[in-house]
Amino acid sequence: MDTKVLWIGFTDDSGAFAKSALEALTAARTIADGLGGELVAGIIGGAAETALTQIGGTSPASVRTVTGEAFSTPRYKTDAAAAEQIAKAAEAGIVVAAAGSRFSRIAAGLAQRLGGAVDTQVTGITAEGGSLKVARWFYRQRMIGTIERTTRPWVLSIAPGSFAACEEGAVEATPLEAATDTRTTSLGIEAGTSGAQTIRPDADILLVAGAGWTKKQADGEVHADVASELILDFVETNRASLGSSKSMVDLASEGQAVLPFLTHLHQIGQTGSSPRHAKGLATCCHGEEPHAVGWRFINERRAINTNAACGWAQGKADVLYVADAFEVMRKVNERLK
Amino acid sequence: MSTTYQIVVCGGIVPDPLQSLEPVTGPAGPALKNEMMLPSVLDPWAWHALFEAADLAQRHPGSKVWLVSMSPKAKLQQVMMGLAQKAPFELVVVDGPSSGFADAGETASALAGAIQGIPGLDTSQLLLFGGWQSASRGTGAVLQMIGEILGIDEQFQGVDKLTVDDSGGLEILERIEGGAWQKSCCAGAPAVLGWATGELPEPPNNPQIGMQNMRAIMPALQQAKPAALAGDGLSYESVESPKQRRETRVETDMDADAIADEIAAWLKA
Amino acid sequence: MITPDSAMPEIERQKMPVDIACVGFGPATGGFLHTLQQGLMYPDGTPVAESKVMPGMPPQVICYERADDLGFGVSGVVTEGRAIRESIPDLDLAEIPLAAEVTSEKVAYLLDPIGASRRSGLLKVADTLIKPFTKKHAFTLPWIPPFLRKEPGMVFSIGQFCQWVGQRVTADGTIQVWPGTPVREALIDDDQVKGVRLIDQGVDAKGQPAAGFMPGMDIEAALTVVGDGPFGAVGRQLDEHFGMPEGHHSRDWAVGMKFVIDLPESCELEPGTVLHTMGYPEPEIFGFFYVFPDRVASCGIFVPSWFETPTRTAYRYLQHWLMHPWIWQHVEGGSLRSWGAKSIAESGRKGEPHLVGDGYARIGEGSGGTNVLRNSGVDEAWATGSQLGEAVLELLKAGKPFTRENLDATYVRRRRESWLEQESLKAENARNGFQKGFVRGIIGTALAGMTGGRLHLGGEIKKPSEHVPTLEDYYRGRVSAEEIAEIRKACEAKGAGLHDALMDKVGWPEIPLDGKLLVSQQDALLIGGKVQAPPGYADHVTFHDTTICETCEERICIEACSGQAITMNPEGGTPLFEREKCVHCGACLWNCSHTDPANPERGNVNFQASTGGFHSAEN
Repeated sequence: MDTKVLWIGFTDDSGAFAKSALEALTAARTIADGLGGELVAGIIGGAAETALTQIGGTSPASVRTVTGEAFSTPRYKTDAAAAEQIAKAAEAGIVVAAAGSRFSRIAAGLAQRLGGAVDTQVTGITAEGGSLKVARWFYRQRMIGTIERTTRPWVLSIAPGSFAACEEGAVEATPLEAATDTRTTSLGIEAGTSGAQTIRPDADILLVAGAGWTKKQADGEVHADVASELILDFVETNRASLGSSKSMVDLASEGQAVLPFLTHLHQIGQTGSSPRHAKGLATCCHGEEPHAVGWRFINERRAINTNAACGWAQGKADVLYVADAFEVMRKVNERLK
Repeated sequence: MSTTYQIVVCGGIVPDPLQSLEPVTGPAGPALKNEMMLPSVLDPWAWHALFEAADLAQRHPGSKVWLVSMSPKAKLQQVMMGLAQKAPFELVVVDGPSSGFADAGETASALAGAIQGIPGLDTSQLLLFGGWQSASRGTGAVLQMIGEILGIDEQFQGVDKLTVDDSGGLEILERIEGGAWQKSCCAGAPAVLGWATGELPEPPNNPQIGMQNMRAIMPALQQAKPAALAGDGLSYESVESPKQRRETRVETDMDADAIADEIAAWLKA
Repeated sequence: MITPDSAMPEIERQKMPVDIACVGFGPATGGFLHTLQQGLMYPDGTPVAESKVMPGMPPQVICYERADDLGFGVSGVVTEGRAIRESIPDLDLAEIPLAAEVTSEKVAYLLDPIGASRRSGLLKVADTLIKPFTKKHAFTLPWIPPFLRKEPGMVFSIGQFCQWVGQRVTADGTIQVWPGTPVREALIDDDQVKGVRLIDQGVDAKGQPAAGFMPGMDIEAALTVVGDGPFGAVGRQLDEHFGMPEGHHSRDWAVGMKFVIDLPESCELEPGTVLHTMGYPEPEIFGFFYVFPDRVASCGIFVPSWFETPTRTAYRYLQHWLMHPWIWQHVEGGSLRSWGAKSIAESGRKGEPHLVGDGYARIGEGSGGTNVLRNSGVDEAWATGSQLGEAVLELLKAGKPFTRENLDATYVRRRRESWLEQESLKAENARNGFQKGFVRGIIGTALAGMTGGRLHLGGEIKKPSEHVPTLEDYYRGRVSAEEIAEIRKACEAKGAGLHDALMDKVGWPEIPLDGKLLVSQQDALLIGGKVQAPPGYADHVTFHDTTICETCEERICIEACSGQAITMNPEGGTPLFEREKCVHCGACLWNCSHTDPANPERGNVNFQASTGGFHSAEN
């Protein structure tokens, strides 16, 4: 049992898996191979037909599904019941799923029900010679720890972007039943930001807007309107995702005349998110380590700042342009149109 | 008639997120350098949860808020000086580690025990609040596990808003991918809500609330029972700060046009 | 009706009655509360007196501290700790992080290895004579005069000490201490202090009500204990309201700025090592270096108000001092862990205000407790607090009210009869010579020290503003008036202070920033938990008469600002202030080349209590 690895995937509205689910499946396969164990799969969602065509590339030994209307929307009680049913039927020692919002809601609850342990947002796996070690970040991405556990089952959620998505292929499944009673009704999705979408987890580019945008400029005036225009223009033109520092977001939430479209959802670093994107451009950001963790997972990083000694950029970015971001971003936008 | 709630907020203490942190290996495994000297704060997400709890309790007269924390009591005492003027609550203390390297399951078990020990707690009115993650371990696991131990299987994570409708339904916004919220309605307590940042600004310091809170906080700290976590089944191979330092090319003399050309080419590549 | 001194429009304010309200939590209030707490209950658990505001309960004692936590933004210190040890006989330094017994002391005169400092002809001759006896450009005094010696004594971080004391005094719940809660002013009614008013929350930069407005509460108290330091808002308010005793004034100041450094492995200094320096980077600037356990050092400089320059930057001078070969040999390869700055009242007993009045008592540095001959203030502050603690217990037990007479007969009497007063009298004139220069000051101090204060060199104590020459005068012979005008124009356009450009000009080398030990002043604000300012409070630095700022040429407030929070207004006129960068060192309060027309004893900068500042208790 201890070497058997169960992967659980949740289907989305279209009945398919998101990329992160398929990445977690790669992780599960890696673990099973390293432990010399078996990989089995579980699917939860409204329906599983499309999903079953996506996971064959990893050749799971068996696939169990819990489907139906009750499982089409994410809710703790139904999702936890479904995952529990699948896990108990699978008798796996390791349970793996993507650390999306849906599994993150139940991962620890599932571990508790199974009498096991849990580690979330895993970014690295070492499975060899029958031993499994996982790496995850602590203290807001400030330090990375490598953990080993003897407790089983061990529930792991895999941070998106940590593994390549597995190859697709068709499989067959055995349906299971799970309890559908819950006091929670789903009322749909609400857009997080007013106006244009500015948070795009799958975007190639992250633009980070720092507090410098709302400080007095060379003429002694604040130009929040110009800053807004330049930032939104860049984000829209490049289908980029927008992140911001805590101070900027706090100012916005206090109703000060700053950048009106920024919410707490935009915050990166500190108490915000640490998103994953191929490229990141930080503008007017300043700060040392605690602030710069927000772009820990950005592959290529460049920064524009008027301060050459900027701790955010020195040693953390590939290129630092010491320049006025208002002027540079206007010209960048012109070129990318 | 308005519903009354018994709101239990779970929150540990963490080093002020703006401090520089460095891992060290101590006798009991990984720890932070100068951990006892670093200024501590209530975990930022639990902090939001506490203010949301106080706000909800105020809007539903007869409701009550407890803050349940497992932390070293001397550090917690210090944190209370910065917190107890903000909102009325009763403190329940487990004198134990607040380290990010402690096991989530063991932490949950100790906290659940403390909650079960609150005299007169009515689980049918219970809203279990906390942060959806922490600035220390950051697993987002403890609250879920406490919920399971207490038998509460309506749970929500990444909550930014809670509205109580006329029939007592809890309308909840949870953060999901892509900068959006999932909206759900739960038919009343009990429920577990792991808060993201919520929508409330930090309340001002209110000396009267502080004075009232502190009369019960100090005895609670003095009576705190120690909890030692065994750490069974968990071992750390290593904990490291990322060492790689990028070789930053610093361009101080490029004109804006040249910079824009270079950035545009880089983004298009 | 109780009316505070301010001209705030009348707002409905909540009131909260307590028995004793304290303003500021530092070593003095620590000493007061510790003594009070030790004696507030009889061994059988009954209180020595009943609360007047909450019958049946022990006296309600509350302390408000402006900084965001106890012990934030203070300093490292060496002290004999006589009063502290007397209060805490079982004191175990191992219980307090960053504390150690003094193990060795050295005093060194530093030569200028660069040739950029401004030294008088006399000093240059002395430097030449001393040179053969120096190592690493430093002459170590073969013998430390007793009045300067601190052994046996202890080094510790006042921050860690205050946190430790704070935990002890609040542990049983009888005393409450609230950081992050600045006191705006004392409530004075017919010359009687009736308590304090807290500052307004939820206001804009100008103090006008904004989102979440909460008027500062009135805390009514039978006794207000004022321990808010040398430039505390309440202490200064009382000085203005009641005036100073005849011949007393607070004219002498220094800003102490320091780094807390993780020393390199190669450093061989033992914990408890104490180094003091003089002579460099400018003769007027003194240095200190205290070694704590675990390879940590607190080290820095004092820049005094009698240092007659309008480019009175502490930060850059601190970096040059650190790079002096005699210091650098110990720190090279280390890393900056925290930093800080604070103004120090250097008037000593001459700065003693009326210690008591109806309903109030003054303790600590703001009560003139610092001994300026022995360079000792922390233990003295603790002593004053402890003496007040004993006095208050005596009055509580006797059921006597906190009147001027009663406080005089108990607290002031204890203070006058103590070693603190005796030594303070000997020190009173020790530093007068510095008013006329470094060499005269050193000789005067030595004379006073060796003769128990019977001899000293005189010097009229000037106001801080009288110590500020024009830039042209200070740099005469080194930088021409035309060059200064050019530098001024260029710096104004950039919104920068002038000191960097002028120091470059006279030969101070550029600091080779390494991002580890030598960081820019702005980056220093981000070290050790970052300088912070919670939103919703008014700007606490303002200018009394802005028309004076319009024509001010020196703008020493900008040059001296430890956090670069006061900056040049690119449009000219009144300098700009950024609350988020303020480290609350109080240097702007006395670093002004002008005086307030309404009160010529003070400068044109006003400094109120507010939240924020350093978020480090390692200082």
